Amino acid sequence: MKKKILSVLLCVAMAATMLAGCGSKDAGNSNAGGSNAGGEKTDASSETLVYWSMWEATEPQGQAIQAAVDAYVAETGIKVDVQFKGRTGIREGLQPALDAGTKIDMFDEDIDRVNSAWGKYLMDLETLAKASDYEATANAGLIAACREAGGGTLKSIPYQPNVFAFFYNVDLFEQAGITAAPKTWDELLDACAKLKAAGITPMTMDDAYATCVIGYHLGRYVGEDGVRKIVTEGLWDDPAVLQMAKDIEELASNGYYSEYVGTNVWPQGQNVELAGGQVAMYLNGSWLPNEVKATAGENFRWGCFAYPALNACATNIEGAAPTGTESNNFGAQVFAINKDSQMAEEAFGLIEKITKGEFDQKLAEDSIGIPADTTNTEWPALVSCAKPVMAESLNRFTWAVGVETNADMTPVIKENFIKLMAGTIDAEGFVQAMLAASK
Amino acid sequence: MKKNKGMIVAFLTPAVLFFLVIFVYPILRTILMSFFNIEGVTDAMGLWTFTGIENYVTLLSTSLFRTAMLNLGKIWLFGGIIVMSLSLLFGVIITSGIRFKKFFRAVIYLPNIVSAVALATMWLQYVYNPQYGLFKTFFSALHLDSLASIPWTDGDHKFMALLIAYCFGMVGYHMLIWTSGIERISPDYYEAALIDGANKIHQFRYITLPLLKGVFKTNITMWSVTCVGFFVWSQLFSTVTAETATITPMVYMYMQMFGAGNTMTDRNAGLAASIGVVLSLCVVLVFTLCNLLLKDDDLEF
Repeated sequence: MKKKILSVLLCVAMAATMLAGCGSKDAGNSNAGGSNAGGEKTDASSETLVYWSMWEATEPQGQAIQAAVDAYVAETGIKVDVQFKGRTGIREGLQPALDAGTKIDMFDEDIDRVNSAWGKYLMDLETLAKASDYEATANAGLIAACREAGGGTLKSIPYQPNVFAFFYNVDLFEQAGITAAPKTWDELLDACAKLKAAGITPMTMDDAYATCVIGYHLGRYVGEDGVRKIVTEGLWDDPAVLQMAKDIEELASNGYYSEYVGTNVWPQGQNVELAGGQVAMYLNGSWLPNEVKATAGENFRWGCFAYPALNACATNIEGAAPTGTESNNFGAQVFAINKDSQMAEEAFGLIEKITKGEFDQKLAEDSIGIPADTTNTEWPALVSCAKPVMAESLNRFTWAVGVETNADMTPVIKENFIKLMAGTIDAEGFVQAMLAASK
Repeated sequence: MKKNKGMIVAFLTPAVLFFLVIFVYPILRTILMSFFNIEGVTDAMGLWTFTGIENYVTLLSTSLFRTAMLNLGKIWLFGGIIVMSLSLLFGVIITSGIRFKKFFRAVIYLPNIVSAVALATMWLQYVYNPQYGLFKTFFSALHLDSLASIPWTDGDHKFMALLIAYCFGMVGYHMLIWTSGIERISPDYYEAALIDGANKIHQFRYITLPLLKGVFKTNITMWSVTCVGFFVWSQLFSTVTAETATITPMVYMYMQMFGAGNTMTDRNAGLAASIGVVLSLCVVLVFTLCNLLLKDDDLEF
């Protein structure tokens, strides 16, 4: 009998320790932000600034940010807990963690995701920005974009700006006798003809960015609001859609697209065809020179021009407004502060450390990106070609000019548009396929 | 045997508690969520909007979801036929007393050890590459130009490309299950059959196959469960945004839960939950059908 009582007691004790073990781990997580669930951490959490980063610790961006954090800690004595979560880590994990009350003072991600998907967790930064005169040396266009995305008030601080435009191989352009980058559709066709005549494939595309091409082209005809209407309301029978499809069909039938455009799986087009010198142009973000630098080599001369302006085209879409080269998809990663943070001033101080002066320059140089601080006028050589495009971008398009707004249609748009570029369907066929799918 | 209720309760309580908290509660919550419209997966219940069976109606009327279900069905059926027959064939060969058995078994199982990301990259960037890919150079060398010029990664062939790559990785796993089943069959049966004049094919048809019924059921169930969770390969075969050729219900579920691609799209964790419920029902259905059609308890060996 004694044995039995003993074993029951032991069993209960075991179950209790197991449950208690889980319990204390949960408690530790909610206090210390999920990194170190140790007792010390919990005590110090009230004065440790917790930053969830969208970068990996091994990426150039992650390393530059770590350097800035180290400098900030050395200067101010404030403890900072940086947790490099990576893109998926932030995208999947941030909201559940915030909902669970995890201590996270600041985080970063894409401008639109932070302001729309996580808008309810953001602190209004107007007062903090005013107090430190932040905007004096910040990119006005991006700050305006942040205000717009934040519903009229500043809830995020942009850094690592980028712009989406045509990037090209200057050597191949010169070889074909093209002296100026195209500004209009006719000039683009002319450049393509010259390249083709010189035996050079004018342009290529990867599956990952195919929707950006159709988005930009439609956006030039009807503006972003018009594009959103087309994809959400199924207005594929609009004359602007047919005109867009005919323009692309013309590129395809003239052989201006690479023969591999239908089969390219990212990063085949950018790494092999463009960086390998087989093709002259590729529509992409200003992160491209950094991504392909290993294959392109040091002597690759980059050029950049905005998606060309198109000739006027009829449309029946209400509120459609054609756009020119002043409208571009530019954006940034942004920092935001948790509205419940007790360390807002300290967090803003760290944001300033990362996005201003020395460390903004370091971030730009290490990642071959664009500086956010306007006093950092030296852009890394590989992306300096994008400077005029960025400077002339007054009106902001969001990603792919809104063509991916309807998630149920995006895969169909992607499939059929790639076929249109590859020449396996024609303009009419494209419109019919889209109409059928949006019923 | 004398039963001691106290002991039973004491030993079962921890397991039951864990089972309830980790297994039953999430299932019930998922089923409940599928009747609501929920923006973020961790939103408090106060933010949920009751919509009845609207999520299920929406799913059935969304052509992209139907495409995803169809893709899943094709992967399950065609992939299943390919994987089951190849793995059974390899399993029979491996257990037939060939030389270097361990070596071949290791080679066939190898793709299971390599990460899916590495495998998919190899298939997409090397094997299927239209410029210098393995298929291109191999078929060109044999002067089979029509095979060499198949555009594996375009919209019309991508599903086939995905299926081949996926099956390649799965054969080894199911082969191991078959092998363990075949090795369980006593060699006495084969010896007796050999004496009676049965050749290898007869032995396979009349001894191996009937005695593998139970293993077959295991294999089908495992295959169905992994198929329903088909996600990583689909993601890898369609960069950034989903594609009609490769989309599966799990990818569609992810899009609804966390948003699709780089653009902010509508999110509905309730809809995602209803996809989870539909998929679970599919597995239960397959499992029940298997149990009804394949009765393995009539044989004792």
